[in-house]
Amino acid sequence: MGTLLEVKGLSVSYRRGGVAVRAVDAVDLDVPAGAMLGLVGESGCGKSTLARALMGVLPGNASIDGGRVALDGEDLTELTPAKRRQRLWRELSFVPQTSMNALDPVYRLRDQMREVLCERGGLPTKAADERAVALFRSVGLDPVRLTDFPHQFSGGMRQRAAIAMALALNPKLVIADEPVTALDVIVQRQVLDTIRRLGRDLGLSAIIVTHDISVVTYLCGLTAVMYAGRIVEQGTTEALTRRPTHPYTMGLMNASPDLHEPVETLVPIEGAPPDLADPPKGCRFAPRCPLALAACRESDPPPVVVEPGHSAACFRAAEAGALREAARKASTWTR
Amino acid sequence: MAYFGRRFLHMLIVLWAIATILFLLFRLMPTDPSIAHLDPTFTEEQRQLVRAQFGLDRPLFEQYLIYMKNLAEGEFGLSFRQRQPVMGLVLAVLPNTLLLTSSALIVAYLFGALLGAYLAWRRGSLFEKISVPLVLATRAAPEFWLGMIVLAIFAFGLNWFPSGGANVAGARYASEWERIFSLDYLRHLVLPVLTLAIYLQGLPALLMRSNMLEIMREEFVTMARMKGLSERRIMLRHAARNALLPLVTAFALGFGQSVGGNVVIENVFSWPGLGRLLVDAVANSDYPLAQGAFLVIAFVLVVMNFIADLMYGLLDPRVVHGEH
Amino acid sequence: MASIELPHIAAAARPRAPGLFARLARHLAKNPSALIGVSIYLVFVLVAALAGSIAPYDPIEILFTEDGQLAASLPPSAAHLLGTTNLGRDVFSQLVLGARPSLFVGLTAAVAVATIGSAVGLVAGYLGGWVDRALMRLADLVLGLPFLPFVIVLVALIGPSLQNIVLTVAILLWPNAARVIRSQVLTLSQRQFIEAARVTGAGEWRIMLVHIAPNIVPLAFLYGSIAVGWAILTQASLSFLGFGATDTISWGTMLQDAYASQALDREQFSWFVPPGICLVLVVLAGFLISRGYEELLFPKLGEG
Repeated sequence: MGTLLEVKGLSVSYRRGGVAVRAVDAVDLDVPAGAMLGLVGESGCGKSTLARALMGVLPGNASIDGGRVALDGEDLTELTPAKRRQRLWRELSFVPQTSMNALDPVYRLRDQMREVLCERGGLPTKAADERAVALFRSVGLDPVRLTDFPHQFSGGMRQRAAIAMALALNPKLVIADEPVTALDVIVQRQVLDTIRRLGRDLGLSAIIVTHDISVVTYLCGLTAVMYAGRIVEQGTTEALTRRPTHPYTMGLMNASPDLHEPVETLVPIEGAPPDLADPPKGCRFAPRCPLALAACRESDPPPVVVEPGHSAACFRAAEAGALREAARKASTWTR
Repeated sequence: MAYFGRRFLHMLIVLWAIATILFLLFRLMPTDPSIAHLDPTFTEEQRQLVRAQFGLDRPLFEQYLIYMKNLAEGEFGLSFRQRQPVMGLVLAVLPNTLLLTSSALIVAYLFGALLGAYLAWRRGSLFEKISVPLVLATRAAPEFWLGMIVLAIFAFGLNWFPSGGANVAGARYASEWERIFSLDYLRHLVLPVLTLAIYLQGLPALLMRSNMLEIMREEFVTMARMKGLSERRIMLRHAARNALLPLVTAFALGFGQSVGGNVVIENVFSWPGLGRLLVDAVANSDYPLAQGAFLVIAFVLVVMNFIADLMYGLLDPRVVHGEH
Repeated sequence: MASIELPHIAAAARPRAPGLFARLARHLAKNPSALIGVSIYLVFVLVAALAGSIAPYDPIEILFTEDGQLAASLPPSAAHLLGTTNLGRDVFSQLVLGARPSLFVGLTAAVAVATIGSAVGLVAGYLGGWVDRALMRLADLVLGLPFLPFVIVLVALIGPSLQNIVLTVAILLWPNAARVIRSQVLTLSQRQFIEAARVTGAGEWRIMLVHIAPNIVPLAFLYGSIAVGWAILTQASLSFLGFGATDTISWGTMLQDAYASQALDREQFSWFVPPGICLVLVVLAGFLISRGYEELLFPKLGEG
């Protein structure tokens, strides 16, 4: 299967009080067709900004500094705004975070679906309505709810509606920004199951942005870990969970409980991410990394191929096997 | 439904309270109540009539009951100066005030909403930097002064429009409707409406602008962009539609407030409306007329406040369909 | 042990207005429109204070030209900066002296509204129960009254002096201030430090006055500043309609005089335009200041 989305050297900055802050720094990312990529990282690492940059809709004070975003070979950053807008929703769509006010409160769902299907999809009203019914069913919503207003939906239902809307024009790629974060655990699982089923049935390609590793392990075949605006490790989910190579990834795996394995002590990673207005010299994770060497604070580690399809940006990638043992111990992480 | 019922009840209570306040004001003022209701030039017959109607020789509480009964029947007594039933005089001028107010408000709100939306769209531009203080200045200006300037320029200076009244003196019309829709009336209406509209547009303009700015920050606007909808569609159908909600209620509220606030405009342009009637009545110590005019003005205000509540309820689906 | 610790908590937790003047000064510097507002006010206050010295003539003195003619309706000149009225009075002198009643009305009304609003808000918010409900019903009622007509009727009944105008305006404008202050009091009373103060045995009155009142002063100030513009415009309107205090020259009486003397027809712009401009400036200054002050009190997140 070919690469659907190829991101090379993408950088995004925004202006904060006169200072330019690089929220996304020279990111390389590949999403093959039919694959789901989980983009993981803690709050503020730039993953949401990256997601929005891929869509090309950023807040006023943010802009893409450089790099390319190629969807099916076509570089979206090179397009005129009008052409870019044409691609939106038809080729790539977006599922927003649950807690946000993502649906217009004064229009019924039916009208909002019609808007997307008719205005952007060119369908006549009747066909649009039929498709809306089908879409709702596919996400597990009763089509009778189409006549409701957004505030009449529960959080989980709103997310399903958002997914239905995202799939309306059969996009090639769906980007979901924390799609289940604000939902309670049971509803989370239901929505994740829906996404999984749709992924399988439609051969959907997706990027799932989340801070929750368990979502990624449940849903995604591929994983990319982001820290302080950079991708520090990417590969198959299996590879990253069994053979994490970057110390940050190792820390993340430690910090997330897994229902299927014996409960060991959860070890959080101490400290906080760097201020991106003034990033540290060398590896950005070095200040928090218990396995850091002097070299790590001197220069930026480039991505190193660990195994086919798996790379990590760490100087000590070769010793990963041994380091993993140390990383599993709580004492390694506490100072 | 319960919401509307409560607001309606509230409206009735406020109306009752205002009537009571007026009663107390006029009766408890340090003047002889009988004088307050009787002009010395009334004939004996007329005095008897008034005494009977208002029970002036009865205890205060009985007077109050009679007063409330009279009000409920729309009986406001006789005007001192004009010897005619107050109600008739009030009703005669009511259409003029309503027309002036509604025309001015419609013009003001249409213009204001568009201006406000445009100011939000063009945030940070030079146009915005100049317009916002200018709009504030129109709200800071005394209405009657604006009227004076408008008169000086358009009526006296350019002679495009008449300088006062609602019709040319001595004009005769077949019916009220004909009079109101005559070109003559409309010509007289232009300047007062223009002045009032200049004064009133500030509120919808600034309100619309600030609503739009807030709404443009909402997630559903970003989502609309991600859906690839045109900027125009987003501005009009999503941002403006959401921003309009408070404006509709403001319109209803503005109507009620304007009817009372029209007082000065009606005086500058000698427009024969409720405000002018009230001012003349007070100037002439014509208490029944003053009371009648005031009560009708207050009535319109309270009813419009209620309608504003209703409209807010109807237009915001979150209120109608209840929070989930 | 608890009773020994709590007084410290009470004292430490009481929110103080941190360097209010310093904050004000810094905020003014960042907010040009508020600065303009304050400057305008200062100019007018100065003019009003020094009116006696600035005005070249007595405003009500009827003047004559050198050849014994009535100096009526003269156009602006060096001798009469804004010309004369149709009865030969100097317009500029009237303008300058007219600042006094307006500013007086504005400032006293501001104080009155702030005071009544605070008192009602404090009592309603703090005591709650039927007192609160009664006061809020009263507020609703007052808000249901048509503003200018009621002022006209009331002033006609109690007499057209400046003080009465201020009183009437204050009676009509306190509800909004009271409501907001009441909310603030309600929020404050829930806070820990009030609980702490209560536990240490502070009386209800003491809590109200010492702990809560200082925290609502900024709000009272805000609503007072909003009332200034309204009060000035109301006084001008009343004067224009002929219901104002007839003995004082104010911008409103100037406009009434001009209107009644056909100044419009004779296009004596120098007579009737300046008083209006002065009114606009003073009221606008009030708007700018209250907006700037409101931003200080309730900074909007994510602006700029």
